[in-house]
Amino acid sequence: MSHHPSYLGVFLTFARNSLIRDMTFRANFIIESISSVSWMIMNLGFYTLVYRKTTNIVDWDKYEFFVFIATTMIVNSLVQTFFMPNAQELSELVRTGGLDFALLKPIDTQFLVSLRRVNWSSLGNFVVAILLLAYALPRIDGWTLSIWHVLLYPLYIVLGVLILYSVMITLAATSIWLGRNQSLYDFWFYLTNFSRYPMEIYEGAWGTPLRQVFTFVIPILVVINVPARLLAKPLSSEFAWLGAFAFVATVLCLAVSRWVFKQALWSYRSASS
Amino acid sequence: MNAIEIRGLQKSYRVYQKKEGLWASLTGLFQREYNEVEAVRGIDLDVAQGEFVAFLGPNGAGKTTTLKLLSGVISPSGGEAHVLGHVPWKRENEYRRRFALVMGQKNQLWWDLPAQESFQLHQKIYRIDPEQFRRTRDELVDLLEVRHLLGQPVRELSLGERMKMELTAALLHSPEVLFLDEPTIGLDVVAQHNVQKFLKHYQAERKITILLTSHYMKDVVALCRRVVIIAQGEIKYDGSLAGIVDRFSGHKVLTLQFADGRMPGDLARYGDVLEIVEPKARLRVARSSIADVLSSVLANNTIEDVSVEDPPLEEVIAKMFAHTANEKKSEAVLPVETS
Repeated sequence: MSHHPSYLGVFLTFARNSLIRDMTFRANFIIESISSVSWMIMNLGFYTLVYRKTTNIVDWDKYEFFVFIATTMIVNSLVQTFFMPNAQELSELVRTGGLDFALLKPIDTQFLVSLRRVNWSSLGNFVVAILLLAYALPRIDGWTLSIWHVLLYPLYIVLGVLILYSVMITLAATSIWLGRNQSLYDFWFYLTNFSRYPMEIYEGAWGTPLRQVFTFVIPILVVINVPARLLAKPLSSEFAWLGAFAFVATVLCLAVSRWVFKQALWSYRSASS
Repeated sequence: MNAIEIRGLQKSYRVYQKKEGLWASLTGLFQREYNEVEAVRGIDLDVAQGEFVAFLGPNGAGKTTTLKLLSGVISPSGGEAHVLGHVPWKRENEYRRRFALVMGQKNQLWWDLPAQESFQLHQKIYRIDPEQFRRTRDELVDLLEVRHLLGQPVRELSLGERMKMELTAALLHSPEVLFLDEPTIGLDVVAQHNVQKFLKHYQAERKITILLTSHYMKDVVALCRRVVIIAQGEIKYDGSLAGIVDRFSGHKVLTLQFADGRMPGDLARYGDVLEIVEPKARLRVARSSIADVLSSVLANNTIEDVSVEDPPLEEVIAKMFAHTANEKKSEAVLPVETS
């Protein structure tokens, strides 16, 4: 026996077992995929209607905004595929005492509870989003693919997913203290709702403070805005700092969420048997 | 060498005291009353490597809490414990790969998947060498006679079959210490017997250290020479099974069979009459006077058969539990804090 668990091996087994499970309930899998894809397509239809009345929203024209929407879809589908089912289940694990078993395993507990389920049906949106990018990008005026796009876009997508994961696991960890946290999903929805629009929207007496809070305190505005802008807009020095900030924000978010999670575990007392 | 060393181990919980009714629930939102529940109150215990020890005690006595402390699932309020030289609640990986906990009332296998998929996962988590994994798994499922069920989703297994799969999963990494929390709960007699047989064989073969809690005296009789009785979070007894009767029961059960209908009417003078089914009578007699009673009975009656036995273990233990429960009631639970 080697002394370090193979994290990749464990993750792949989780992914594999989840797929086997999803395939057992095929109809459910198909319905879930269809419903999430159709929800995104309706969303897209709505913005198409809006762009019939106007040529741009806070300086984002139709195809640029489609890139923004596609980015939102990519990030959200990744979060929903890998992290959402686990964060939701954490509350249940705490209430039923199932967390006991996670704590017994010779492997990082946060890793174990964060990735034990993979919700493959949520990847449907990922595919749709890639198609949308392929459709919208060539239609942006003067757009050409550069090496920076190829290198940085996936990287910032990953950073965005990690920021959202941190927020989510922090929220979920509170259920360890509260015993039950049903409002996790609602709160999550309110929060991510803000991240779904270009940050220029948040301006004025209310808007600016809101933007600052959601950039510097809970940096969810960085999640979509940075990769979407990188891909759809010409690179400008003005946003270079935001690109750099995204790195710092990700590291800080992960560190804070890890700290909160550890504190929560420490106070876990396990449900009665 | 000791596998488990416990010194002054304590665990108390703060429990929100919910009052009855809507109004009380509303005021409870602002002002809560907590009770301090002492689940474990300073336990000292040494268990040698290779021992198979039973934890007995009434519900809520602190048995499960102790096992959870020793598995590092929860942290103590005070005291120390070392298992295989590790402090459990530090949750070190080196420790976690050397023990296992099986809880009869909870399951860790993936509900919708065949057990073999969960076993695969354990192989990855514990990083068991594939060849060794196969060997151990095959040996375990053969011993437990569940090989043919490996491909069936866990939710379709019977309780007994599921328990056997849980045991297999827990033993795949060949733990040196095993904590079993009511592993036979809810099982039928046959399944119970199978699990006992397996545990006995496995422990004898591997010489691992096992702590078992169970409410089935049959488990204990079949498996453990040493018994630790916990009640109200304290150790009340630590010794052999037979010793429990000596220590907690001052009585013997005397069974007499009288010759053709000559049963005397005044049996009560010899001891408490437990049962009369002519021509037999069962009496409970104080241990100290058993010799006198016996000679007096034999001198005054025609006896065809006689036997002197210890009272049944279950009865002695039940009485002892009831006794400690009464002690507990007289000791009022004090509300410690309001905020």
